[in-house]
Amino acid sequence: MAKRISADRWLFTITLVLVFVGLVMVFSASAVMAKERFGSEYFFLRRQMGWAAAGLVAMVLAMKFDYRRYKHPAIVFSTLGVTTTMLISVFLLDRAHNTHRWIHWGGFSFQPSELAKPALILFLAFFLENRTRSMDDWRNTIMPAVIPTLAFVGLIVFQPDLGTAIACVAITISVLFVAGLNIRYLGYGLLGSLPVLYLLIFRVAYRRNRILAFLNPYSDPQGRGFHIIQSMIAVATGGVTGVGLMEGKQKLFYLPEPHTDFIFSVLSEELGLVGAIIIVALFAIFLWRGMRAALRSQDMFGRLLAVGITCMVVVQALINISVVLGLLPTKGIPLPFISYGGSSLFVTLACVGVLLNITKHAD
Amino acid sequence: MTPNQSRNSKTSRVSYVAVILLLWCAAICARLVYLQIFSYGTFALKARHQQQRTEAVSAQRGVIYDRAGHELAMSVSVDSVFAIPSEIHDLPVTTALLARITKADPRELFSRCNASPNFCWIARKGDAGIADRVRALHLRGVYFQKEPKRFYPKGELGAQVLGYVGMDDAGLGGIEHQYDEKLHGVDGRVIVSVDARRRWFGSVEKQPSPGENVVLTIDEKVQYIAEHELDAAMRETHAETGTIVVENPHTGEILALANRPTFNPNLSREVAPQSLKNHAVSDVYEPGSTFKLVTIAAALEEKLTRPDEVFDCQMGSIVINGMRIRDHKAYGLLPVTKILANSSDVGAIKIALRLGEDRFYKYIRAFGFGQPTGIELPGETRGLAKPVSRWSKVSIGAIAMGQEIGITPIQLAGLVSTIANDGVWVAPRIVAATTEPQTTPRTVVFHPAAERRVLSTMTAAEVKQMMQDVVLEGTGRKAILEGYSSAGKTGTAQKVDPATRAYSRTKYVASFAGFAPINNPAITVAVILDSPAGLHQGGQVSAPVFQRVSQQVLEYLHVAHDVDLPQNRQVLMTRRETKQDDLAENSPDHLGASLEVAEDASPTPVAAPVNLAHQTAGATMGSDLPGLGVTPASLRQSTAAPGPILQPSSSLPSPPTHAALASDGGATVVLDAGGGGILVPSFIGKSLRQAIETAEGSGLDLEAAGNGLAQGQQPPPGSHVPAGSKVMVHFGR
Repeated sequence: MAKRISADRWLFTITLVLVFVGLVMVFSASAVMAKERFGSEYFFLRRQMGWAAAGLVAMVLAMKFDYRRYKHPAIVFSTLGVTTTMLISVFLLDRAHNTHRWIHWGGFSFQPSELAKPALILFLAFFLENRTRSMDDWRNTIMPAVIPTLAFVGLIVFQPDLGTAIACVAITISVLFVAGLNIRYLGYGLLGSLPVLYLLIFRVAYRRNRILAFLNPYSDPQGRGFHIIQSMIAVATGGVTGVGLMEGKQKLFYLPEPHTDFIFSVLSEELGLVGAIIIVALFAIFLWRGMRAALRSQDMFGRLLAVGITCMVVVQALINISVVLGLLPTKGIPLPFISYGGSSLFVTLACVGVLLNITKHAD
Repeated sequence: MTPNQSRNSKTSRVSYVAVILLLWCAAICARLVYLQIFSYGTFALKARHQQQRTEAVSAQRGVIYDRAGHELAMSVSVDSVFAIPSEIHDLPVTTALLARITKADPRELFSRCNASPNFCWIARKGDAGIADRVRALHLRGVYFQKEPKRFYPKGELGAQVLGYVGMDDAGLGGIEHQYDEKLHGVDGRVIVSVDARRRWFGSVEKQPSPGENVVLTIDEKVQYIAEHELDAAMRETHAETGTIVVENPHTGEILALANRPTFNPNLSREVAPQSLKNHAVSDVYEPGSTFKLVTIAAALEEKLTRPDEVFDCQMGSIVINGMRIRDHKAYGLLPVTKILANSSDVGAIKIALRLGEDRFYKYIRAFGFGQPTGIELPGETRGLAKPVSRWSKVSIGAIAMGQEIGITPIQLAGLVSTIANDGVWVAPRIVAATTEPQTTPRTVVFHPAAERRVLSTMTAAEVKQMMQDVVLEGTGRKAILEGYSSAGKTGTAQKVDPATRAYSRTKYVASFAGFAPINNPAITVAVILDSPAGLHQGGQVSAPVFQRVSQQVLEYLHVAHDVDLPQNRQVLMTRRETKQDDLAENSPDHLGASLEVAEDASPTPVAAPVNLAHQTAGATMGSDLPGLGVTPASLRQSTAAPGPILQPSSSLPSPPTHAALASDGGATVVLDAGGGGILVPSFIGKSLRQAIETAEGSGLDLEAAGNGLAQGQQPPPGSHVPAGSKVMVHFGR
């Protein structure tokens, strides 16, 4: 079997393009606000560029590093352990705004929940590689695979960060599904999670408001419907060709978080339907190349890893875009590669490096 | 399950995931197309609605000047304070702080801010101090915006003439309303883009163009005199309303137009509606006896009678077409002159009957009754002058004595001015010109408006003479001026009680309209007091006001004296011996009184020569410059005051007034080197105005009491006092 020496050029190029678009859009979306809050238009751009550089270095390093060498209990479980520790430690360290998402260290801050996703993927790929024939084994396969997921999800939910938790669940389901899990069990799992979801959503005022706002944003256009309406206004005013880069108006305090969760609104407004569809298409191609890598992977570990990483990137992107377009209720999920946010960018790029390494070894 | 099957199954599962996610991508693309193409219009509209604001940029409102270029109304830019309550963290505390500064009710302010989270005015067009104090607090969510505020530097002066403006800078009365379009200018427009916090980052679309300035014919000083005397009259007579019109009879320029009650246009929000009314142009009242001027002037012009023709006044009773009309007093045989002087109703009716309805009506119209004068003020009414076809059989008698006809004070001034102006009716005017916005001061030329000859010069002269007799011998004796001849006519009209629709026995309109001096009159003054309490005869109530206003205005305008005091006194003394009317009996003989005081003061070595000098100066001036009209005021200002300077088109010779002023002021300021103090000058015989000038010139502090001319003072003239001492001066008539 002839081994490919080079990594997948599509994935590599798309990643670079998306990171570049991200830098441009972060600057466009944040310049006015950065100038006002921090006195420099380049405040967010500078930081994002630093993280992008670090992330790209990590990506290249991961690309060179044989993914099969992760297949070691010491690595897998220490990753799980470190992540768990960090997820717990945020509750002790950070009490800002009643949320516990960040670890601050020196001038940097890091979101452990970003690390949870790859840790989970690594664990599932490692654990399920040799159990694909016993996927019906409730006690020895399903429960051990699901428990760490539930533990992570639980910790993240209580940060609280329901969006990331749901992304983790989606990733886990994808990996389990590809590993051969009977669809029946997925159904049971969904049924079982409904009461939990109900409690998490309808018992917490702001989440309930988000759902209500999603269902009928115009019932309270100045209140809970404000963000969704403003986001849709931004997207729609883009029209076909957009109002032009840097020319968007909705980022001027109409949109919440224009440089992070709602960066796709800014992008759609400024670059129009053309720009927005190109971005969606880039993620679709990323999906295609990622899944292709999974299919061509030599071993189950590589396949599950590739599926997990691809799904992690694409599912997050689709959730984020759907929220922006008013297709899903508001959640705090960044748009991979593009949204401002160092931990997300760094971790995502590193993961893409792993994915690229998998493509290297595919047939 | 074989490995191969398993592999296939796994392969298909990967594809399932990919397909599901691709379908999701497709859904997103569909949504993008829906939003960005099909909903583009509606959302773009929403975006524009919230991102753009068309803000009107107020044009600088024009200035209203008096004839000498004094600003009567001007706009200043002030800071208005507004809040965006949604940006304020602690609304109750912030609003409490703001309420303390703006002196608002804190609870009201809080609920107002709470109700509108995006925008809420805190203080609009308030004092500069408010904005500064709010600014000093550096409150979050509190902002400032420059807005033009109308400012009336003279307060209540000419309030009904000027009008006022509302919060939105729209003229709501008087000249402000009438010339709103010109004064306002053209607002600019800014399409501003605003961010979610309402901050602007837009650019000017259209520059505002400032409004034109309006120059009035009003003379600030004359207006002040009229208002001051009207105030005094209102206090004395307790009249419900009062009006004074001062007009230049030759040009129709209104020099003053005073109304009471009045208001302060700076505080227009607190204005009571009744004080906004400009009675001079919008009140229609039955003139009563002043209208006999029309009757008699018409008959003279038509050569149907002569001033000396004697009518039988039938001891105060006449029957016209079966209806008996009673005179206010029983007169026997009276010449026409006396009919006017004594205001005999029967005499006037007999003259009107000789005139006939059609000719009478022709003159009523010719004198401008029943039609608007066209003065540049809003709300002018034309009065009520029924055409002959609607007259009843007794109408001619009623109208002859000023009933069954409604006129406005400005029309009355027009009637008297026509006679003063040798028979030519000139439309009254209050706006001299409008000038280009924000131009440097310049002289504007006033062109009299419509003119028409109503009476021949001859007739006018005859009526003038008769009107002088009214003052000298008739009902208008309280209108005698000091140093000036004067003429006029009294009027006392019963008001129609709206409840009974009959003539009231308690409510009268007391009027006096006259002019001075007789030859080449400088001013026409009409005084109308509505429903005075107690005395209500025009000759008792309104004539003194005419006297006080005319005396001061003529002196202010430096009109040459045409009567010297001894002669005047003689006339008066002889009248006193022969008078039969008890009217003059009650009135203090002010001229005599002031002369007596003057004689008392004459031993004072300083004061006497001063008075003499003053009189001689006046006399010489009079002979040199018989035609001295209204100009001196404006000419005198021309060196000092900014703003447009008004000159009548009938230009007059250069002012002689500096000399007069200098001699007056210079002579009274006498410093006594030996006494080590100030030699107190004599104030006796001076008007309040002159007394103030004298006191200021001497470095003394004047404390005035009473009205009219100075009659006594403490310390007496000639004594020595330290500089800045108080001098009590008692004024009286």
